[in-house]
Amino acid sequence: MENIKNHVYQKGLFDRLKKSPSLKKAQECFGHVIKPAAWWVVEKMSPKLPDVQKLICGNCPSAKRLHPQQLHRCAKVALGMLARAAEEQRLVAFDCPEGMHAFVCPVIQGEKIFGYLGACYAKKEISPQMLEIFSAFTATIVKEVQKELELSKLYETLRPRAIALSTVHTVHRLISSTLDLNELLPRIARLSLQIIRANRCSIKLVDSKRKVLLPKVTVDLREKNIRLKKVKVGRWAPGKAVKFGRPIRGRDYLAAPLIDEDVIGVITLYDKIDRKPFSTFDQEIMSTMTEQAVIAIKNAQLYKEQEKLTMGTIKALAKVLDTRAPGTYVPRASFIKITLAIGQELRMDSDSLKSLQYASILHDAGEIFVPEAVLAKPAKLTGAEFEMVKEHPAAGVEIIKHMKALKSATPIILYHHENYDGTGYPKGLKKDQIPLGARIMAVVSAFEAMITMKPYRMVKTLDEAIDEIKANAGTQFDPKVVEVFLKVTKKKEIRALLEKELYGPKPAA
Amino acid sequence: MDLNRLLKSERHFKILAFFHENQSSIDTPRGVATWIGDERSKVQRALEDLVKLDILVADRATSTTGYSYTRDAKLISKIGKLLKQHRPA
Repeated sequence: MENIKNHVYQKGLFDRLKKSPSLKKAQECFGHVIKPAAWWVVEKMSPKLPDVQKLICGNCPSAKRLHPQQLHRCAKVALGMLARAAEEQRLVAFDCPEGMHAFVCPVIQGEKIFGYLGACYAKKEISPQMLEIFSAFTATIVKEVQKELELSKLYETLRPRAIALSTVHTVHRLISSTLDLNELLPRIARLSLQIIRANRCSIKLVDSKRKVLLPKVTVDLREKNIRLKKVKVGRWAPGKAVKFGRPIRGRDYLAAPLIDEDVIGVITLYDKIDRKPFSTFDQEIMSTMTEQAVIAIKNAQLYKEQEKLTMGTIKALAKVLDTRAPGTYVPRASFIKITLAIGQELRMDSDSLKSLQYASILHDAGEIFVPEAVLAKPAKLTGAEFEMVKEHPAAGVEIIKHMKALKSATPIILYHHENYDGTGYPKGLKKDQIPLGARIMAVVSAFEAMITMKPYRMVKTLDEAIDEIKANAGTQFDPKVVEVFLKVTKKKEIRALLEKELYGPKPAA
Repeated sequence: MDLNRLLKSERHFKILAFFHENQSSIDTPRGVATWIGDERSKVQRALEDLVKLDILVADRATSTTGYSYTRDAKLISKIGKLLKQHRPA
């Protein structure tokens, strides 16, 4: 092994040395002074006579006219000089049997000789000073080439690792950018397939109560119809990876467990694209991948839990409020659906949609501070009574302000009674001054008020309410929001849900 | 867009050569720009050209986009041949 390494190093060294512009320049300069006929390089640590005959004497201009015996004698002299240069580890000058001048310079690193450089057939005698200069020059050039070689080797070793590290970093950024498990798991599967270059990836999560692995996602580049199968812990590669908490690798599969404090699942890859077996390198890469994935999955699971908790609190609050005036505060699913559908059509991001959802449940929570007699009054409100009603958005904000998760919903609740033309309350904001969520809520809450039973007005039919919303576009409501509202309420499933919630299920034909 | 024509651009050639040599790599425009020694914005446009040809796959997230090489074996083999043909002297 060591010999092979040395050989590879030596070849690289001489390849670079022969191409070195510094060496060419040095040979050119010295050539002018000593007038040599031939420069040569011997790329062997311990050359034999045939090597010398070929590499040194083969370059000699007088070789053709020499008798083979004379050539043999000449080669022997050169070989002796190579041996002397190696032994003394310095440049050696000599005269060849033809009476010409020559020298040999060993290429040394540390105490190791990798080969020789030299010149033959010099017509002028080479002075010791000149030899010393050439020797120093050569040593510098060899060092320069050795450095270049080491740098290049370092680059060749580091570059693939740096590229792999960059891939890990990119994967980390991609999978940390979502907290939605439904988006996250397919993304992890796709990225795993990409990194390992496999055809199929399956992610299963542990159901610790039932000791099974529940299939969550499978991506297969070859098949479209994929059956998701449960696997018992301990069975097959995924089950074994979970049971033993370590990767299980076969020729055509690699199961890498997702380990947090405990094993929470497994990513399994099948069939490499190039049909080669899964390697130790693949296993190492997947171990890094699962370390990243498990953090992202745990974060998404925690976020989901947090969401459930927030939603539960909001619903509980709505339920408490509803005890005062049953049916007023627990919103119908259809109104939440319409609100969110409008938000989606208007390309609101997921955080804004979440705020819209919270606000759609709690927008009238502040009415709890309005006397019941005012809310239930079947006639027109007096000025003082209306002033009390106008306080309810701010009162609603007061109720939810201590819940951090609902902070982003407060502008929607506070401004959902603002009118597009500036005639609303509490601040008389106009057009884009009103947050988009509040402009949406204004339309949906007015629609809700028109079609549900209120003590102060007659219930309208769905079409009558929609027409009234349309009639108030540009004055009370944002026309763009109304346009989307009209589109959304035309959808069959929305219409069916509204009718079911308002009038009960349709009787069977 | 024609792949042969695209490969005449040094930038597209370098990007393709990078992904062909590092087929497991997934990288951002900034990362690819570093590997091939070019400007990020120009590299980003070139990456999108290659996505349109299904040579690269784009994984888009809110904060960044990760680009990776196609998994189509036939296309990979074709690109390998074209890279050899177009390799600068």
